[in-house]
Amino acid sequence: MYKCKEIIELTSKNMETSLPWYTRMEMQAHFLICKTCLRYAQQLAMMQKALGVMHGHTVSCQLPEAAKHRIAKKLQQVKENAEK
Amino acid sequence: MAQTDTLPENWLNDYGDLLYRYALIRVRSEATAEDLVQETLLAGLQSFDRFSSQSTVRTWLVGILKHKIIDYFRKNRHEITTLNDDETAEDILAYQFDQQGNWKINLIEWGTPEKNMHDEQFWVAFNDCLSRLPQRMADILLLRTVDGLETEECCALLGFETDNQLWVTLSRTRVKLRLCLETNWFSKE
Repeated sequence: MYKCKEIIELTSKNMETSLPWYTRMEMQAHFLICKTCLRYAQQLAMMQKALGVMHGHTVSCQLPEAAKHRIAKKLQQVKENAEK
Repeated sequence: MAQTDTLPENWLNDYGDLLYRYALIRVRSEATAEDLVQETLLAGLQSFDRFSSQSTVRTWLVGILKHKIIDYFRKNRHEITTLNDDETAEDILAYQFDQQGNWKINLIEWGTPEKNMHDEQFWVAFNDCLSRLPQRMADILLLRTVDGLETEECCALLGFETDNQLWVTLSRTRVKLRLCLETNWFSKE
């Protein structure tokens, strides 16, 4: 019988590798009787989903103007060299 | 006729911010993020003839940036094989579990992913929690889950000797991230 502390580690491991069927069954059995571990597993799944889409979401942070100028200059240089 | 989004001279204005944000979360240094954006755009210009119109320029540039980020980690290997106190997360585990390994705390209800992920403030909290993770923990989690780097390569890049060490650290990283989200986002109203 796994302890909750072990179940949460297995929950994460289950996202990384395929666990043996008997381990997964034991986890499912644990989730039936332990709402907290079940909730933990659902929350990890949600975090995983968020990590997968996080880059599509806007956070207020922009490429600073000065950096933009430096990059534009560099791109221009490379372009001119290529055209020579 | 060329679509406007395929005009290379517009890339910096159109995708500069997006690429920069993407890079900054990963490398936590404005100078390095700027370098990565520049390298990405240069590589994009140089290989534009290989761009297939089946994807969007945006997706394509982000793909190039992903490779640049992985290269960056390859060049700047984290040669630490022992975890520091911050990374073992013992304090959080002791806060969450009793001596027998049973829960000491209640997890609050998070609501549906849809409800949260459509909220701009959720992403502010999410990024904030990522940036509060110890650097290497964040690197591991993102290389693995966002970049989809294989376990073996993750271990090599981050100096883990066994897969299990990586898995244990990933689990602890998730423990930390979850608790931070709960405190900074889900507990609020």
